[in-house]
Amino acid sequence: MTTANSTMFNPTDLVLELDQTTIERAWLQSQSASNPASRWQNYLNQAALAVFLPWLQVEEDATAKSLWQQAQQEAVWEVVNGTAIAIKDAKLVLIPSEADDLSELRVAQEWLDIPNWSADYYLAVQVNVDEGYVRVWGYATHQQLKQGNFDAGDRTYSLTDDQLIGDLNALWVARALCPNEVTQAVIEPLAELPPTQADHLIERLGNPGQVLPRLAVSFGIWGALLQNPNWFRRLVANRQGKPSVTPVWQWLKQGLTELSTEFGWRQLEVALSTDGSKGITTQQSVVPATGLAKKLAIANHAYELRILPLPEVGAWRFELCCLTPGCLIPAGFKLKLLTAEGEDFAGNEDIATEAVPQLALEVDLDPGESLIWQIEPTPDHYQPEILQF
Amino acid sequence: MLPRQDVVEIFSTFIQFDSDRFRGWATDTRLRRSMGKSLTEISQDNSSNFWALYWLRIWQQQPTSLAREHLTAYLQEVCFWSATKTITGFNSSQYTVPDCFQVAIARIDKVLQGFDCDRGYNLKAYASITFANLIRELLRQKKEIDICSEWSLLRKLSQKRMMESLSNAGLEAETIEQYVLAWNCLKTIYVPERATSTRQLAKPTPETWQAIAKLYNQERLSQLKHSTKAASCEDLERWLLICVKAVRAYLFPNVNSLNQPKPGHDAGEIIDSLVGEVDESLLSNLITQEEVAERSQQHADINQFLTATIKQLKPDEQKLLELYYGLNLRQAEIAQELNTQQYSISRKLARVRKALLLALAQWSQTTMHITLTSDILDNISSLLEEWLANHYDSN
Repeated sequence: MTTANSTMFNPTDLVLELDQTTIERAWLQSQSASNPASRWQNYLNQAALAVFLPWLQVEEDATAKSLWQQAQQEAVWEVVNGTAIAIKDAKLVLIPSEADDLSELRVAQEWLDIPNWSADYYLAVQVNVDEGYVRVWGYATHQQLKQGNFDAGDRTYSLTDDQLIGDLNALWVARALCPNEVTQAVIEPLAELPPTQADHLIERLGNPGQVLPRLAVSFGIWGALLQNPNWFRRLVANRQGKPSVTPVWQWLKQGLTELSTEFGWRQLEVALSTDGSKGITTQQSVVPATGLAKKLAIANHAYELRILPLPEVGAWRFELCCLTPGCLIPAGFKLKLLTAEGEDFAGNEDIATEAVPQLALEVDLDPGESLIWQIEPTPDHYQPEILQF
Repeated sequence: MLPRQDVVEIFSTFIQFDSDRFRGWATDTRLRRSMGKSLTEISQDNSSNFWALYWLRIWQQQPTSLAREHLTAYLQEVCFWSATKTITGFNSSQYTVPDCFQVAIARIDKVLQGFDCDRGYNLKAYASITFANLIRELLRQKKEIDICSEWSLLRKLSQKRMMESLSNAGLEAETIEQYVLAWNCLKTIYVPERATSTRQLAKPTPETWQAIAKLYNQERLSQLKHSTKAASCEDLERWLLICVKAVRAYLFPNVNSLNQPKPGHDAGEIIDSLVGEVDESLLSNLITQEEVAERSQQHADINQFLTATIKQLKPDEQKLLELYYGLNLRQAEIAQELNTQQYSISRKLARVRKALLLALAQWSQTTMHITLTSDILDNISSLLEEWLANHYDSN
């Protein structure tokens, strides 16, 4: 820590200590990334956040928090640099950099042009892991950055040091004295992607060999993929070789949102033997009144995987049916369930020994328990998915 | 150093160094003529404050005119003292005052752009703190660059700095674009494998070079504006070493080359007709003596307000400002004086400065009827820095 202590930083710089414990924790947490560049990006962002957020909470805004959940934020670091923070009435994005010369703030286009990513303020943060400090040396509003230089090569907006506001205090004073100042420029909404196109993209860009997925397709397409949290989650899960999580129970409890339909699932009315319309309430839990269904294509035929609640709490039925009227499931097809760890359990598969109308499995699950489904032959665009009950 | 007195000299002469010492003042005849002409045609005022403000206004309208040179001349002493003071804080015999002076004065645009021309009143005070900040950063960066291996150094740069360095080395735009892409590919593929001690990255292995080349050859098709040939590992290594050399050379340019008078300075008539002349039609009503008077009243008010505000701060906060702005102490020394942790200095200073900025902004809002925006607050922050530097300097 020699430089940090032996020199004087400029008075408007905010210099915060990055201690060894924080460094080690950030390093450990960054190891799940799919490639070295993402890992390093994750590490620098974790370090910056771990130091800046507590300072922010103590000095400026006790309600300040990470804007996104840890898993979602980590998904961002897999492909884009930057960390979103929510303060009382505004959004900040930290843009960490190793650059020592502090000559520019360079922000990925995603942070400005994806509507649900865009923020009010972008902070230039130097992270020096050798000297052990994090320095906030300037910031700009969304509007200022949009007027800055756009580099079509790496898809970034940048401002030079003298175009930035050098004193972070100006931000807090602005929030206090001119809170209605317009900080965001108007941006165009991104056109929505058809789900099939999203599936193809998730497959293609989900390959970790694709080092710079953000530059591999046009921004309109890339941005549209990222603005859908579930597609984004699946993309990153693919890159990291992890199954993505589908919160079945939560969806059924809340009713399906648009997001889950984009995930490939639709709501399915179930005729339960008891009063099915409201669901059955027991002491602690409720049997949902609806199930989920997902269309699948196997060898050019349409099938449907259904998850249906049974009248008993915690009991579920999985069905694979053919969607074409009169069609049967060919011999050799297999419906299989695995634990979240990918292990077999008793009665976890149903095999068609001859052509049958459907394959079915029934399981009893504890709240929070998870399963992974598999079908042989593997459906088109199959992605392992953890179903959470 | 012998300070200048005469207003014409102040705006037309430059410091000359004899190895690392002040030798004397050298006159730029073109600037001398320009000042003489302005004194007869614009105003008889011989206060340097008036002329500083005057040239600043001209510079804002005509950034490539002689105004910049006049202001560079005007700020010579300030830059000299900033360099002298800052360098002693670094305990380094490696860099001399002329080195730092030349580098800082070459970045005068930062001073001119940052100064709040409407409310700021002391360009010298503002320049003093800006030059000191610049020099301090440069020395710190130079130290970092000296510690780092070539391959670590490449991770420590912004793209802007990389491009400036390559451009400074005389490379063509197309080549720069290629090298910058190669550099970005290196940074993507070759990352440190440890959490710390990242300053001694070794040369990438052959496998890493291949991965860099693969990425480069893929990305060049979409990222480069011009079509180029595929690059081999050897090409990339060669290019990146050129980058390293350019970066090292750029931070501290050869002082001798800067110290030479620019060609044409003494050539007289020819240069007068070229770019650099001030367009007279823009000069009328730029600045009046009344404005100068009004402004000095405003400054007196600000001064009174801030002096009173500071008196209301806690004693240790007042002490912190004094140690920081007045005595130019380092973090460790301030921490020792205040009996506190080194790292809390930056936090404490931020807190005190925020209180002052808030007070000054509110005061400007009510007494000067200024509508506050982020940009205005940025200016008020500069004004505050300027005032603090000036206040503690004269104390």
